[in-house]
Amino acid sequence: MSSEACRISLEQFEGPLDLLLYLIRRDELDIREVRVAEVAGQYLAYIRAAVELDLDVASEYLVMAATLASIKSRALLPSRNLAPEEDPERTLMRQLVLYRAFREVAAELRESEEVWRNAFPAPGERERWASDAPPRAEPGSVSLLDLLRALDELSTPSEGPVQRYRRPELTISECVGMISARLRHGRGISLGDLLGPGSDRRLLVAFFVTILELSRQGLVRFTQRAPFGELLLEREEAWSESSRTLLTPLTFSPVGEG
Amino acid sequence: MLDVTARAIEGLLFAADRPLSIEEICDLTGSGADTVTQAIGRIRASLEDEGHAMILQEAAGTWRMVSDPAIGATVAQLYEERRPGRLSRAAVETLAVIAYNQPCTRAAIEAIRGVNCDSAVKSLLERSLIRICGRQETPGRPLTYSTTEGFLNYFGLDDIDHLPRRREIEELIGSEGAADGADLFSS
Repeated sequence: MSSEACRISLEQFEGPLDLLLYLIRRDELDIREVRVAEVAGQYLAYIRAAVELDLDVASEYLVMAATLASIKSRALLPSRNLAPEEDPERTLMRQLVLYRAFREVAAELRESEEVWRNAFPAPGERERWASDAPPRAEPGSVSLLDLLRALDELSTPSEGPVQRYRRPELTISECVGMISARLRHGRGISLGDLLGPGSDRRLLVAFFVTILELSRQGLVRFTQRAPFGELLLEREEAWSESSRTLLTPLTFSPVGEG
Repeated sequence: MLDVTARAIEGLLFAADRPLSIEEICDLTGSGADTVTQAIGRIRASLEDEGHAMILQEAAGTWRMVSDPAIGATVAQLYEERRPGRLSRAAVETLAVIAYNQPCTRAAIEAIRGVNCDSAVKSLLERSLIRICGRQETPGRPLTYSTTEGFLNYFGLDDIDHLPRRREIEELIGSEGAADGADLFSS
């Protein structure tokens, strides 16, 4: 394993064919005459080094390694007459020549890209790049991919049927009124009794927020007869009928319109 | 000083939000195709002679007015954040294979490049340089891909026939196809 090969990582290659072309060019071999067995050794050493270095070697490289090993071993055997299309060496060399042509064309295209991506069209066209421009759907511009994507979104289960309805607003002040009607002086009341049977979640949340607010203002306190027992809500000394007016400026609405 | 027709066409090409075809320009100006083509020639010459920063680009049989790539670095600063980056080598190679073989399946691309090209195909689709054009009626009915007009614009190509080294590649594919067609292009 040469030190040079070690210094080069597989990442700079676009796959096994790219690596093979690199090795052929490095050894100044003619692609039309090179024997695969000559480069196979180099290739295998390269892959082995990469595996030893614990690099992530993509499966394509390993498949090529197996192909090369097979071609190399076949070269050692007495020759069998194969039809050209069955000869794995010829197939591989043709593949290399074709890939090399595409690689060269791609390099030319990249040069054109560098020129034309620096040509900026007139203002109207530039709006397409505006970050807030909605995507356009012109005839012919919607592809099968867009449809597949839309279908995919449709088939994703939603969170159930959506029904819109208006909820009545419930203000903290209204809740204070309801609570004060049930909160007698000197008697604790459990939260369950306070809410009453059949109260919905909306009322529960509204009452909870209201009780927190009353407690923050020092108008109510919680008591407990025993550890972990039921919480009872009681009026504080500060409670008076004026507490309702205290709270009046609060227009906080715990539940908005649905 | 340009004549009336040429000035009208220059205005159209400046203000258009897409490349305009000769037919469209004919419709919009009420002139014939020859008149329009000659006028475009005069606009080009006038821009060039006076050393303007705007040039006319022909791609995919359409015309548009763009700023000269030579001053691209300066103009690009306006769009630094929004402008997509250059394509990766893998993406351009994949694009080249599709361009010369369209319509073309993923398997055919991979047979030529020798590597998986899922992410390259995905990014090309996202940038609208290729599109899905159908399915091949072979087992598995794989999707086939072809290049778009955006591809021609992006690389400043007049049409698919103007791809670099087209004949040479076609001959290579031809000999390949004769010997190995089943594997490479029909799979």
